[in-house]
Parts: sequence; C-alpha cells; structure tokens
Amino acid sequence: MSDTISELLERTLVVPGIARAFDSLGLPEEGYDQWGFNAEQSRLWYSLAYPIYRYFRPRVHGVENIPPGRVLIAGNHSGQLPFDGIVIALSTLLEADPPRLLRPMVERWVPTLPVINEIFSRTGVALGDPINCRNLLEADNAILVFPEGARGLGKTSELRYRLESFGRGFMRLALQTGSPIVPVAVVGAEEALLSIHNASTLARVLKFPYFPIPPLLPILGPLAYLPLPARFHLYYGEPMHFEGPFDDEDPVIDEKVRQVSERIESLIARGLAERQTVFG
Amino acid sequence: MGSDTPRALVTGIKGGLAQIVANKLSARGYRCIGVDYRPLETVPEGLEECYQANYNKTRIEDIFRKHRPTHVFHLGRVGNLKEKMGKRFDLNVIGSRKVMDLALKYQARRQVVLSTFHIYGAHPHNHIPIYEDDPLRAGSAFPQIADASQLDNQAIAWLYRNREVGTVVVRPSNVIGPDIGNEMSKTLRAPLVPVMFGFSPMVQFVHQDDLSDAVIVAAEGSTAGVYNVTGVGSLPWRDSVGVAGARQVPILASLATSYLRAAGLFTRTLPPYMVNFLKFPCVVSDAALRRDFDWAPRIEQVAAIRDTVAEVRGPSF
Repeated sequence: MSDTISELLERTLVVPGIARAFDSLGLPEEGYDQWGFNAEQSRLWYSLAYPIYRYFRPRVHGVENIPPGRVLIAGNHSGQLPFDGIVIALSTLLEADPPRLLRPMVERWVPTLPVINEIFSRTGVALGDPINCRNLLEADNAILVFPEGARGLGKTSELRYRLESFGRGFMRLALQTGSPIVPVAVVGAEEALLSIHNASTLARVLKFPYFPIPPLLPILGPLAYLPLPARFHLYYGEPMHFEGPFDDEDPVIDEKVRQVSERIESLIARGLAERQTVFG
Repeated sequence: MGSDTPRALVTGIKGGLAQIVANKLSARGYRCIGVDYRPLETVPEGLEECYQANYNKTRIEDIFRKHRPTHVFHLGRVGNLKEKMGKRFDLNVIGSRKVMDLALKYQARRQVVLSTFHIYGAHPHNHIPIYEDDPLRAGSAFPQIADASQLDNQAIAWLYRNREVGTVVVRPSNVIGPDIGNEMSKTLRAPLVPVMFGFSPMVQFVHQDDLSDAVIVAAEGSTAGVYNVTGVGSLPWRDSVGVAGARQVPILASLATSYLRAAGLFTRTLPPYMVNFLKFPCVVSDAALRRDFDWAPRIEQVAAIRDTVAEVRGPSF
C-alpha cells in the first residue's frame, strides 16, 4: 500500500528535471546518510520547492565554475527568508552539467524547528558546525555557506546589497580540507521581501534571530510577508584557491576572507549593472 | 585447565549482554565468573560460578582474591533509573572504582568498562558524528544521568593513571537484541511507541551480538582508551518504530516529558529523559574502534530491530 502511495507521489509530484538530476547523481535511493539525507525523499522535497524556483525565474551565470569534488560555495545572504538558498541549491541540480547536489549549512536554531528540521535533514541540509562541514567536505561534497549568517538574511532593505561582515570559519575549513571556494552572488532576493525594521524584541520573545517588518504590513497585514516575484540572478565566480595553515592568526585569515567578500561584491555589482528591471 | 587459562570476571551477569559475553568467552576457552548486585536464581550457561555482591562492598574483593581474573568485564552499569539515585551512585561510581582498583590489585591484564552514549546527550547543536573527545552534554538537560557521566569520566582518568591494566571504556549506542531487557528494547517491543511531532532524528542501534563481539575484541586487544560502539548505519526514529512493527503515537514536543512520565505508570515506554533523543540527533562515530581494533559491526539497523522484536510480533512479522 505504502509502495503504491509512494509511486503515485513520485509520478504526480516529482518534477522530471529533478528526477533526471537525481538519477544522474547515482545516489542510493534507499537508506540514509548519517545526517539524515535520503535521495528518494529529497526528490520529492526538491520538487515541492520547485514552484519557488519557478516563481523567482532565476537567470544563472557561471554555474560551470563549480568544480567536481569538494567545494565550498559561499554566497551573499538576503531576503528575510532563505529563498536564496533554495534557488541556489536547485540551480546546481537543474543547471549544472553534471548536476550537483549541494549540502547547505544552516544556523544553530534551525534544528529546533519542528517539521522544518526534518525536511532539511532529508534533503541534505546540515547544521553549520565546523565538524559537519569538515566531514562533508572530506567526503567530497559541495557545501553551501552564507558567511554573513542570519545577519545578512535579516538586514533591512536600506542595507540591501551591502555585505555584512563575514565569519572566518568557512575559510579555515577551506584551508583545512584543501577545498576551493566558489563565490556566488544572488541579485534579486533583496527585493523579494522588503523589510524596513527588525523587531528585535519580538524576535527575542519568539526565539527568532530577527523579525522583519515589511513596509506594507499596516495595509496588507500578514499578506505583506508574501514575497514579490522579483527575478533572481545568480552569478557563480571562478573557484578561488587558498593556501596556508587553517589555524593561522585571525588577521591572516581575515585577509583571505576579504578577498572572497570582495569577489562576491564584484559579482553583485555586475548583476546589478546587468539587471534591466527588478521583475524582468 | 592449566594456569594459563584466561579467567574472566563478568559483572552485571543477570543482564542479557553480560550473559552473551560470558557465553562467548566460555566458548573461547575462558573460565568465567559472574557477579551481579541482583539475586540470581540459576547460574547462566557458560559460567563456572556466580555471585551476588554489591560492587562497592567487601565481598567483591573476596571474589577477586579467590579467582584472580586475568580479564575483567565490568558490564554491570546500572542504567535503570527506577533504582534510587543513591544506589545508582554507590554501584556505578563507587562500585566501578572498586572493581577497577581490584583489577589492578589482583593483576588483571585487561579490563573493559561498559559506559553509554547517553552521556553525550541529544542536543540541537550536536555535530554528526560525535567522537569520543566531544563534550558530554547530557548532564545539563538531564542531571539524573550524573552517575553515568561520572562512571565514564572516572574510568577514563583511571585508565590513564593505571597503565598496568589495559582498560577499554566502551560507549555503545542504543543496545538492542532479543536477550536485552533495557528501556530501548522494551520500547521497540511495545505496541505503541511515542514519536515527536515534527521531529525524527537519526538514531543508532547496536545489536547484542555486535556489542558482545566488540567487548571481547576490546578485551583481547592491546590498546587502551575510550571507544564508541554502534551498529551498521542509522535510521530516523520514526522509521525505526515502523520497522519494529509498532504503532506510532505522535506527541507534541512541549507535552512529551509529561506524556512519558504518565505513560510510564501504565505501560512500557521510554523514560522521560529520552525526550531529547526523540528530537535531536546523537549519532556517534565508531571509527576509532574500527581503526584500533581492526573490527567492524556486521548487523544493519533494520536487522537488529527485527531481531529484537521478532518474538513479540510473532512469526508473521
């Protein structure tokens, strides 16, 4: 019975492009890895996320820059809700040749969220902990990190396309595991969900890292939290290779981090210059 | 048998795991002596003699003096929280210290001390997998486990101070099997098993046969230290319950502790301290054991669960 239901779900819900991508990944359909990833359930969840990808109609540039083997993909984080992460993860599945499954890293509060934590772990998302990252990289995975963390995601719209300070952890991991860093810029997410204020007291009460207030909240109420159909533009830069001890002093690491941050800034600048309109 | 015959003293002999270990040791030519703080009606198979003795009292020394074991298997950790805290402390902390000191005094060559992976605690910040050097988080959410943490810490400190006895501390994941009567095995055999709404963390089990083999390999090896032991792979908790053939009882996380406390009065279910293990992962790495002892578990999670519940679910299962 359950086999029939699962076959029916597979036939009706799984997007053919996503099914083809997973087929080419050659992952075992059954079983789980130790983080809880399951290829069969992943196909379904990625397919359910596909309408988000369609909604933001991303134009993807330079996805061929992602090298085979272990790699850290580092991007700017924006847009209040992590649509940028979903779109990046789907872009590497649907646009890269061969398709690439990303293992996105998430904030420490995410595992406490009911349902979300389960969907995330079945689709390959893992807690952004150095040991998780190191283990995934050493197994030659592509991991997705946002070095700005929640500060980038929750920043108000007046700060759009200005990068928050980057953490050093991703650089130390790249050095420790000998992984290249592919910078990625997302243009468009900042306009999808505008925020004029971070209601930090409410966020603290709800145990959220931030709580955005959209400009149209007084008029639209909760509908103001629906994202606008801004078009996303993804720019993958060429892989950056760094050398040196991973446990070097902070100023040395900061210099390397600055290079990644500047590369992402230049990709953002290119995206903003090439973009004709927010929605077009 | 000659004086070269290895002599094993196995504590916790009333428990399923200790009896399996004793049986296997006997088949390998050991003379086995069993000890338990609980009364024993019969001498289990494979044992030469059995004693009832508290590990923290003088009688345990009489047993060491008489038999002078070459190998000590201290598997008698009291995990049952229905025992009073004071008694658990006496047996697990003071008693374990006494057993280890006696192993040294009577010149045992090797010693295995059974700890548990529960001391790592299930926590949203746990990375995967957890290694032997990682912090023990259980105490902050569940102070009643202090005796288990203390047993473990004490054994590790002891083993580095007393190199004369090659001591291995093993931290198994959820031990299950047809002969195991711990909370997890009983829960899997129950008709109704709680699952947490919106959470289904990865869970690991180690089958009684794998763990007993690991314990013997550890005792017969030449390395000392602390090692995680687990079976092959891991499964989400909800899948594990499904494999066990039990009906899932979804409970809200906020009500889980109260539910388990109330349900525990009427039926066999998980103890309240296991709530976090139904929400957050606690997945351990057995890489060190594999590397240092050139040993690997054989039994997959699904096979281990099925074997644990087979008798209860019947032949049609």
